[in-house]
This record gives sequence, C-alpha cells and structure tokens, in this order.
Amino acid sequence: MTFVDRIERPEDFRHWVGDMEAQYVYTSGIAGDKFFTELKKGKILATKCAKCGKVFLPPRMYCEDCFCELTEWIEVPNKGIVETFTVVHVDRDENPLETPEVRAFIRMEGTDGGFVHKLNIPPESVEIGIPVKAVFKKEKEREGRITDIQYFVK
Amino acid sequence: MEKYPGKPLSSKEMEEVTHEKWDPAVKYAWSCGEAMSRFLNELKKGKLVGRKCHKCRRVIFPPKMFCETCFRPTDEWVYLPDTGTVMTYSVSYLDMDANRIEEPILVGVIAIDGASENMGIMHYFEEMKPEDLTFGLKVKAVWKPEKERTGAVTDIKYFKPLEGSK
Repeated sequence: MTFVDRIERPEDFRHWVGDMEAQYVYTSGIAGDKFFTELKKGKILATKCAKCGKVFLPPRMYCEDCFCELTEWIEVPNKGIVETFTVVHVDRDENPLETPEVRAFIRMEGTDGGFVHKLNIPPESVEIGIPVKAVFKKEKEREGRITDIQYFVK
Repeated sequence: MEKYPGKPLSSKEMEEVTHEKWDPAVKYAWSCGEAMSRFLNELKKGKLVGRKCHKCRRVIFPPKMFCETCFRPTDEWVYLPDTGTVMTYSVSYLDMDANRIEEPILVGVIAIDGASENMGIMHYFEEMKPEDLTFGLKVKAVWKPEKERTGAVTDIKYFKPLEGSK
C-alpha cells in the first residue's frame, strides 16, 4: 500500500484560516529615549565608556566590554564612512522599484558605531569607504525616529 | 531593583516616551490533512469515523493515516457509534474569556465506543448537573440539525447522559 491513496478530490481537504493578534509597543529605553529626543533636535548623541574609551552609537547604558555604566554623553559630528552597502531593487513587499536605492551601514566619525540608513547617491557611485553626511528632515517634520535623518549624501 | 536606572512603565507612560508600535498581520492557514478532513466531512453527515490498523488492530479515533505504534500506514475506515464513556472532565466556573460565571461549563474527554483505549475527543456536557458528571459515565452525542452543520467538531452540540445508564 502506498502511504496515502491517490488524491483525486483535493476540495475534500479542509483547512483553517487564522489571524493571530500580535500588536506590541516597544519603548526605546532610557538611552534610546534620550538619543531619539535629541535626534529630533538635529543632534546625534553617543555614550562613551570612561574605562576603555569605546564610543557607543546608538548610545548604550552599559559598556559591553567593561560592564560599567556609561554616564558620559557626547555629541558626535554629522558625518561618517560607508562601511558596507546593498543596492535594493524591490520594496518591502517585493514590488520592483523604479530606481534602485542604496542602503548602507555608516560608521559615524568619532564613534565605534553607526547606522544602517538610506544613501541618496546613485548605486554606481557608491563605494566602500566614501565619506557621507546625514541630511535631516525639516524640524517640523521630525518625530523622534531614525527616519528624522532623511538620508545620507556625499 | 532600585539601584538600576530603569523602571516599569504603564501603558500611558509608554506612549509618552519614544516608542515603536506595530500590529503585524500574522495570518495562517492550517491544513487538516487527509484523515482529519474526512473526519470533519463525516461529522457534517452526522457520523463519527475512525481508522483501523490491521497490524495492531487498534481503531484510531480521531482518525490518523499513520499508526504511531506500528510505524505503518493505517488500513481501513470504520464508522463508530456516537456514544462513549467519560474519561476525564472539568467543571469550569470561568468562560472562554476567563470571566467568572454562575452556571459552570462542563467539559471532558469522551472515549467513543468501538475506538481503542486511550483515545477520545474533548467536548461539552449538558442535560446533567455538575454533580452527576463522573468518570465512566455513559454519554451520547446531541447533534445540530443537519442544515446547521458546517463540518466542525461543534456539529455535535454536546454530550448528554445515555438513557438507562448511571
């Protein structure tokens, strides 16, 4: 005998359709809250470890190497270096984009961290190592989110 | 906890700090497979169907296409009566949303007559007092009218005591 008899009437098979409720609110935490509040004002803040000197961006409350609390806040310059990038040809729903966009990890100057963000640079002129700077949205349009930085340009 | 700078937030406070809100669309479809599909379709006709394994001779109910003790496909469909025995039960003073209720909901597992040991379906009990519900009570299915049946386990409304038993 075969494992299952030949299926001749697939419409006889039943299925259940469900919809799980999974709403959530994720708060940005003490360091994150300060970071986003200042980002709204057009400032990029990082925390610095007094012991090892590591500069955390986005800011953290604790140094992951020294396990000590980070109390020193510094404003960092609005520029960085493209560390790695991807050329995106589809949107989040996998629809093709008319013009490809570039997403990059930008190592911010004077820090050991950075952001994943959009580059407003044509894909053919992006290279690892090029200097870029953040362009903020108009002050009125800022909401205290990472998208308050509109994109990075050369 | 006080030596640490964090604190629990109320729902209102969460809205006051920077936050991210998301409502992901988590949809799914679950296929019942061959055995469960037939089981549900037979319920619509007012019948209970099990699956027999010729090697261990068990009648598996609810039906399965594979015998988990013999590691082989099951062989035959068998119809079973809509009577059985209460194996275990609960008297619940909470409804489905955990609200307290005056009249308890009676639920339990029924071993259907003709099926092998340690098998059964979970269902409601009605037409009885909570104190009458007991292990070993003989029960019979009360079905919805044929037109209202949808091919779901709720096509059986509930189980009631089998007449003449007790």
